[in-house]
Amino acid sequence: MLQYTLKKLLAGLPLILGVTFISFVLMVYFGPDKTYELAGKNPTEEQIAQIRADLGYDQPFFKRYTNYVIELATLNFGHSDSTGERVTRLLGRTIPISLALTLPGFVLGNVIGILLALLAAYYRSTWIDKSIMTFAVVGMSVSFLIIIIGFQVMFSSAYGLNMFPVRGWSMDTLGEYLYYVTVPTLAIVFVSLGYNTRFYRAVIVEELGKDHIRTARAYGASARSILLKRVLKNSMIPIITRIMFSIPLVVISGSLLIESYFGIPGVGKVTYDAITTGDQPVLKAVVGATAVLFVVVLIVTDVLYRLFDPRVELK
Amino acid sequence: MRNHAVTYLATLLVALGLVACGKGTDQPATGSDGSALKVYRHSMDGAPTNLDPVHSATIYANFLVLNTYDTLYSYKYLTRPYALKPNLAAAMPEVSQDGLTYTIRIKPGVRFVDDSAFANGQGRELVASDVAYSLKRHFDPSNRSQGSWLWAGRIKGLDAWGENGADYSQDVEGLEVIDKHTLAIHLTKPYPQLTYTLAVGFSAVVPHEAVTKYGRELSIRPVGSGPFRMAKFDTAKAVLEANPHFRQEPIDLAAEGFDPAVHGGLGLEAIEGRSPPFIDRLEIDFILETAARWNSFTKGNEIQFTSVPVEQTDTVLDSRDPIELKPDWTERYHSTTGVEAGFVFTSLNMDKPYLGHNDDPQQDARNRELRCAMRDAMDWTARNNRFYSGIGVVFPGIVPPAASDLHSKLSQDSVSRNLERARARLKKAGWTQDNLPTLEYGFQNSVTSRQLFEQFRGFMADIGYPSSKIKPVSFATFGDYNKAIKTSQLDVIPMGWGLDYPDSENTLQLFYGPNHTPGSNNSNYSNPAFDALFEKTAVMQPGPEREELYLDMSQMVVDDCVTISGLSRNRIYLWHKDVIGLPDREILGGFWLRYVDIKSADDQTTPAS
Amino acid sequence: MSAGESFWSKAWRKFLGDRFGLASAGIVLGYFVIALGVWLDLWGQQWSTLTSGSNLPMSSAHWFGTNLSGQDIFDRAIYSTKTAFEIGLSVAVLSTILGAILGAISGFFAGRWSDEVILWLMGTLDSIPFYLFVAAVAFALQGHPLAMHAAMIATFWTTTARVVRGEVMKLKELEFIEAARAIGVPQHLIIFRHILPNTSHLLLVQATIVFVSAIKSEVILSFLGLGVQDGVSWGLMIAESTQEVIVGQFKNFFAASGMLFVLVMAFNLFSDALQDALDPKKVH
Repeated sequence: MLQYTLKKLLAGLPLILGVTFISFVLMVYFGPDKTYELAGKNPTEEQIAQIRADLGYDQPFFKRYTNYVIELATLNFGHSDSTGERVTRLLGRTIPISLALTLPGFVLGNVIGILLALLAAYYRSTWIDKSIMTFAVVGMSVSFLIIIIGFQVMFSSAYGLNMFPVRGWSMDTLGEYLYYVTVPTLAIVFVSLGYNTRFYRAVIVEELGKDHIRTARAYGASARSILLKRVLKNSMIPIITRIMFSIPLVVISGSLLIESYFGIPGVGKVTYDAITTGDQPVLKAVVGATAVLFVVVLIVTDVLYRLFDPRVELK
Repeated sequence: MRNHAVTYLATLLVALGLVACGKGTDQPATGSDGSALKVYRHSMDGAPTNLDPVHSATIYANFLVLNTYDTLYSYKYLTRPYALKPNLAAAMPEVSQDGLTYTIRIKPGVRFVDDSAFANGQGRELVASDVAYSLKRHFDPSNRSQGSWLWAGRIKGLDAWGENGADYSQDVEGLEVIDKHTLAIHLTKPYPQLTYTLAVGFSAVVPHEAVTKYGRELSIRPVGSGPFRMAKFDTAKAVLEANPHFRQEPIDLAAEGFDPAVHGGLGLEAIEGRSPPFIDRLEIDFILETAARWNSFTKGNEIQFTSVPVEQTDTVLDSRDPIELKPDWTERYHSTTGVEAGFVFTSLNMDKPYLGHNDDPQQDARNRELRCAMRDAMDWTARNNRFYSGIGVVFPGIVPPAASDLHSKLSQDSVSRNLERARARLKKAGWTQDNLPTLEYGFQNSVTSRQLFEQFRGFMADIGYPSSKIKPVSFATFGDYNKAIKTSQLDVIPMGWGLDYPDSENTLQLFYGPNHTPGSNNSNYSNPAFDALFEKTAVMQPGPEREELYLDMSQMVVDDCVTISGLSRNRIYLWHKDVIGLPDREILGGFWLRYVDIKSADDQTTPAS
Repeated sequence: MSAGESFWSKAWRKFLGDRFGLASAGIVLGYFVIALGVWLDLWGQQWSTLTSGSNLPMSSAHWFGTNLSGQDIFDRAIYSTKTAFEIGLSVAVLSTILGAILGAISGFFAGRWSDEVILWLMGTLDSIPFYLFVAAVAFALQGHPLAMHAAMIATFWTTTARVVRGEVMKLKELEFIEAARAIGVPQHLIIFRHILPNTSHLLLVQATIVFVSAIKSEVILSFLGLGVQDGVSWGLMIAESTQEVIVGQFKNFFAASGMLFVLVMAFNLFSDALQDALDPKKVH
């Protein structure tokens, strides 16, 4: 097992190098120039040169990239160019918030999606299927932006129910956590449900059409046992794939729109700010973390495949 | 199925573990004995990034710096026009006859907040050498100060100290520590604005222990001697707690400029004779989206202060001139209006030979006609109505009303729309649709700045300037926009300027030749006559004689049509009835938050006057 | 390719029998005509002109009223249709072409080094969070008007390529390909003349999906200030309207989000119908 993991990690190196290289070229080398933001209202030529030197802009491309790889390997990204906070501390502070923010919506969106998909697939072509799928298409067609704006007005403002906060974040007690997380969760569930339901329905419909399921049905096995025991279990591979590969995006990019609209200090907002201000140490760390996470996800997914389908060999 | 459940359980556990690690330092809203803490929730329309005084260039950073650190001087709470008063200093500075030496005495016994940076974790006394140290930090190249320009070339030996390695053990001639509580500042030439510069966040006093301990992270953990100490700070919010050791300075309302006729009904009488700060906790939410800010304010249990967004003007106002709120709003909230200490204007780049200065006198004159025609096309009334609720103050010249009443002595001509004259100017100078230059109009990308651009292009279309010849150049970051300005790439430059101190010199320097980009003279205006007057006035004490010269300088900029100026925004502020205070975000800025008090629950049952 | 003939005519017949599919295709076509009209200067040209009054109600002169700046909302919404189609079409076409070519090469040479390189590239691009990637490209291209298009093409082709790769791996084992190879037809001809055309039904469906994603992404990117540089789009209009909805001015919001919703919905249904019609396994 250990040997397998190490081998996989090694195989993941090209991916990590690829992601970091492309991101480096785009975000760091051609990225925004922070010099003139740091320079203040009335800078002199000398001050500008000093800032450029401090930011490392005057070094050659290759040296900057090598420095980045070294930083990545030693997990030492230095300090944010904007706030001066240590990058590792910044991420350690904000990633848990984004996780706590998006996880309930992510889990619910997938669980409800699978349930609706089972229902729709089982009652295929009946009114149940049709109404679920109509709902899914409508859900897919509304822009996330409109949902966030609408939900905030509906649930959180004095013009609507006024039951939840417009701004802020706290996880000190379960009550506070629920108070802050509810509306964002609703928005995330609503926007992901359409896509999830359609995807899972397609998977399950295909599974239902297979011979052994037809046989079981013909033998009069109960609907519940067929759906849960056989169909769901056999559909697990595509379901795991979908869920696992969304994880890096959930962790890292969080939900930028939600975080900025609800004033939640998560990593999505931090990353976006880093892009729009050219805060390179933060960007370098976030991109590096995403790449590593993807490789980890690849490995974990492989292991999960084996758990659900013993025929899959770990090689 | 069991495997499936295990996976979910594992994921959940990991998540919970992370959640537990991420616990904030938020204090409960009640004390241990259950008594209610006094909490005031403020809001700002932007977020500060760096709270190190040497980087406190934005109004947002300045707000927090002034509340966590001390400055030698501050402004009287209620007196207008703004008037300086001693803060950390014991009195106003003693200025020598030649205006070159300022002797400043510091109040004894002032303590920094308790912090692990100090021995025993207890804040030590703030002394004169700390003030000298804090000013030196601006000239240490490794600090990349944003505020050094305030003192560059003014204080004896300070620039040289920075250039020669910034060794803090070396004394600087111009920053003479006479004794523990006395500092003498020696200038190279008279600098009448010096005292003002000692009331901005840049001059806040920092203990060297904190710099040693926190290094660059001083930017997120201020250690000062201000009325509050930082408890929590992130991109969305700052939480400050009262500094228990803040020096006792009972409020003398009369000395602060209290006038019952103007300030009555706000409950300010309650703070008379008491020492700030009055609240236990100050929370500041950074909310950029106006809709979210407005929702949060009107909810009632979140932020207690907001400026009224432009789009809500009609909801709130009964009349614009004079500004009057609708009765149901005055019943629910306190309100005030304040003209900003700054202005918005649109500069034209004088570096460009097709628009600005040109060695060929004939072309130079043609260019001037073009610039003046563009200024004539500007419809300030429409701009004011659309973007500034129709309550902004339009004024001629380049000195906003908050700094001086110079504008009242200038003709309104330069801010009056005159399409016929504009067309006549173009015709006379031989400008046609074909030979008009293509101009690049720059802005940092946002909905509002894009709308401002579309309106500007619409105004120019009214004098026959082809819309295809005014091109938008948008920049995603302020840094990139500022770079384009500072490297003189743009033709039309929409700008806003906030005064650092209430003196006309602060805006006139925007047109001083030697401040050419990358300096602050973004329009790259160069006029020897203007420059000579600027240098002459720079060392003059305030008075009618200086005002006269300031007027001449303003007139020059107007006559040369360098910029389309200007408008001072007027903001309406609302705050909840249980908050005692008078908000200000201009010159007084962050200083007012220490005077805020909250009515306790018993007081609220009595009807407000 | 007589088998292909009957496949397409059968698909066409199935599609004609799908009422929802037909209706949605009609709606999409309607939008396209609107966009074409803007492109040909027939209408929607007054989107930036300042009229006399701001926030005017609906009238015969301004069918959807005017916005705060006094610009005609109807004209802006119409003009935005062109913006949306410009983005949707260019991204859909180019990313499909890119995905088809790279996917086919990768599938045909599965297991060889060219396949490895393409797989690595796809994995890499998929591992960079989408909005970060688009933002980065937008900055790298210094606010170039086509930065957003380029970024979307660079990310959206990977899905198409994966689909094509899988299909090509199946197709290349088929008899007629084996036969072509046996008689010495050059490899590039086999790939592009014999294999790729047989994936066209997948490409068509994939292109419609990309079209919808591109339009939806444009809205969010423009809202974030990373999208359309000069001109107007539904995303910009929604961004404008966030300030207006809270004071009860819904015209901008409804005009933009309504037109967006109907087009995306119609395109989704159209895409479904297409998928059904082109699915050889499905028997109606």
